[in-house]
Amino acid sequence: MNYQVLLLFLNAFLSMLLGAVIILYILRREYLPVIRRLEAERDASAKDES
Amino acid sequence: MTTTIFGLALLFYVAVGVYVARKVRGSEDFYVMSESASTLLIVGTLAATYLSAVTLLGVAGLAYSEGPLVLAATGSFGAWVGTLLAVVYVGRRMKALGCRTLPDFFKRRFESPLVTVTATIIMIVGLLGYGVIQLIGAGLVVGELTNIPFPVIIVLFVLALLVFSALGGMYGVVVTDTLMFFSMLGVAVIVAPWLIGDVGFESIRNIAATDPGYWTLAGTADRPLSFTISQFLVWVIFLSCTPALVSRVFPAKNDFVVLKSAAYGVFLASFLQLPVFIAASGMRVIEPGIEPADRVMIVAFLEHVPPFMGGIGLAALMAAIMSTASTLFVLAGFGLSRDLYENLRRTPVSERHRMFASRVGQLLIGGIVTAVAIAQPSAIYWISIYAGAVFGVGWLPTVVAGLEWRRMNRHAAFASMTAGVGSFVLLSELTRNGVLTLPGLLDPLMVSLVAGIGSLVLVARLTRPSPEEAAYFGHIEASRPSRKTIAEALDGAEPLSALRREYRHIVATVVGLLVLSFVVWGFFAVNLAF
Repeated sequence: MNYQVLLLFLNAFLSMLLGAVIILYILRREYLPVIRRLEAERDASAKDES
Repeated sequence: MTTTIFGLALLFYVAVGVYVARKVRGSEDFYVMSESASTLLIVGTLAATYLSAVTLLGVAGLAYSEGPLVLAATGSFGAWVGTLLAVVYVGRRMKALGCRTLPDFFKRRFESPLVTVTATIIMIVGLLGYGVIQLIGAGLVVGELTNIPFPVIIVLFVLALLVFSALGGMYGVVVTDTLMFFSMLGVAVIVAPWLIGDVGFESIRNIAATDPGYWTLAGTADRPLSFTISQFLVWVIFLSCTPALVSRVFPAKNDFVVLKSAAYGVFLASFLQLPVFIAASGMRVIEPGIEPADRVMIVAFLEHVPPFMGGIGLAALMAAIMSTASTLFVLAGFGLSRDLYENLRRTPVSERHRMFASRVGQLLIGGIVTAVAIAQPSAIYWISIYAGAVFGVGWLPTVVAGLEWRRMNRHAAFASMTAGVGSFVLLSELTRNGVLTLPGLLDPLMVSLVAGIGSLVLVARLTRPSPEEAAYFGHIEASRPSRKTIAEALDGAEPLSALRREYRHIVATVVGLLVLSFVVWGFFAVNLAF
């Protein structure tokens, strides 16, 4: 096996993996708390109505 | 055929440019498309700007002559990571601050005409130096292919570019870039795979039997490991702060578009390049000995693929030249009209005046580019050596510290920019002329980056930020890029479902691209590495 050739394609995959990790981290850190809060508010108002 | 393709492609892009220009209603459209661009448009302009003629000519030629690993294994990896950082870190943060151009950030953060002018001059020299030399190279190649005289090619190119930039501003550049992107995608998914399939992976792999160094990081020229490693760092540093990529983020409709564009952008950066480099290796089997090696893909398009694929290839070459040049020149024009003229005036300008100045800025840049490209003064070659790197050594430390460090101030910004650029030019000249030899892994760019960071820290420690600088840093800390997008969703009818839909869409996009990336690069690795 030629490890140097493998490195070329591994790096192409790694750059995508790095992008995926950063983007998913941003989503979880900045957007997920807002979605969780809105879900909690919706559940609370549904409970109040019932 | 080449002259016809050249003429048709030019006419098509000009017609689109004229059509798009009708949509420009004011300066917000002109500078940032009124922040209305979809994911497709941002991905299109990002990918088209990233893929310049250097990929299809210079780097493909290097892959052909020395082996694809020499530059692509680490230098291109650095460029892909740099592109990612330019979008998700620098571009996203600056968009959240409402910047229309990169020098806007310097003006607001430091409130110093000296810093703004220095940053803008670095930008204009860097963009024009890099852009003009690409235009000259591309003009020579197209001139040779079509037998149209070089000055006529340059005038035609610049006139076409002016239609996008002077009439349509960022609107014209983004839309035409996106159309051009599809021809580049055609090379990656149709032309290059056809060439590779025609030659066969086994033959490409077996080049190493006659040229043992071909499938190594050192290549047939047996370059030192220091070259390979320094190329990675150089390209990360260069691209993460280059205005051509960072400014692609500003027209995006919202933060979701930015995140999706970052995912597609980092995937396409490698996907548009690597098949071309492997196809260039295939050309070494089909037709060894092409001189100069830069012409390898042109020979492939003209002589070794079916005519319609050759047409796609030549159209992609035109697109690569024009998309990169249009972005570089439109930003240089913005630098003249907005960053130097408008932002430094004591009195505000009217909307009509602003539009007039913007278009005059584009026309001035068009005139300068034409004159310099045709006259080809020796200074332009000297400038071009340093043009790409000045953003890394001149801007990167100041931008990162400006975003992250409370103590950062105008004195430190000026010291860092001048020390970074000054030491880079000085060291490069000394090493180029044999007066100085840098040891081992060191590249002048890295030494100058350390000089820029060192002077920034030293001066920032010895001075204090003004109350305005401290207040703006507080504003930066409070300006999360997601804030505006979340606020817009909360103002809508169904905020929870809207946010959840976008969230899931982005997760699915990212995971899908990750799987696709694994399959594509796994396929190439299995066929070439084992």
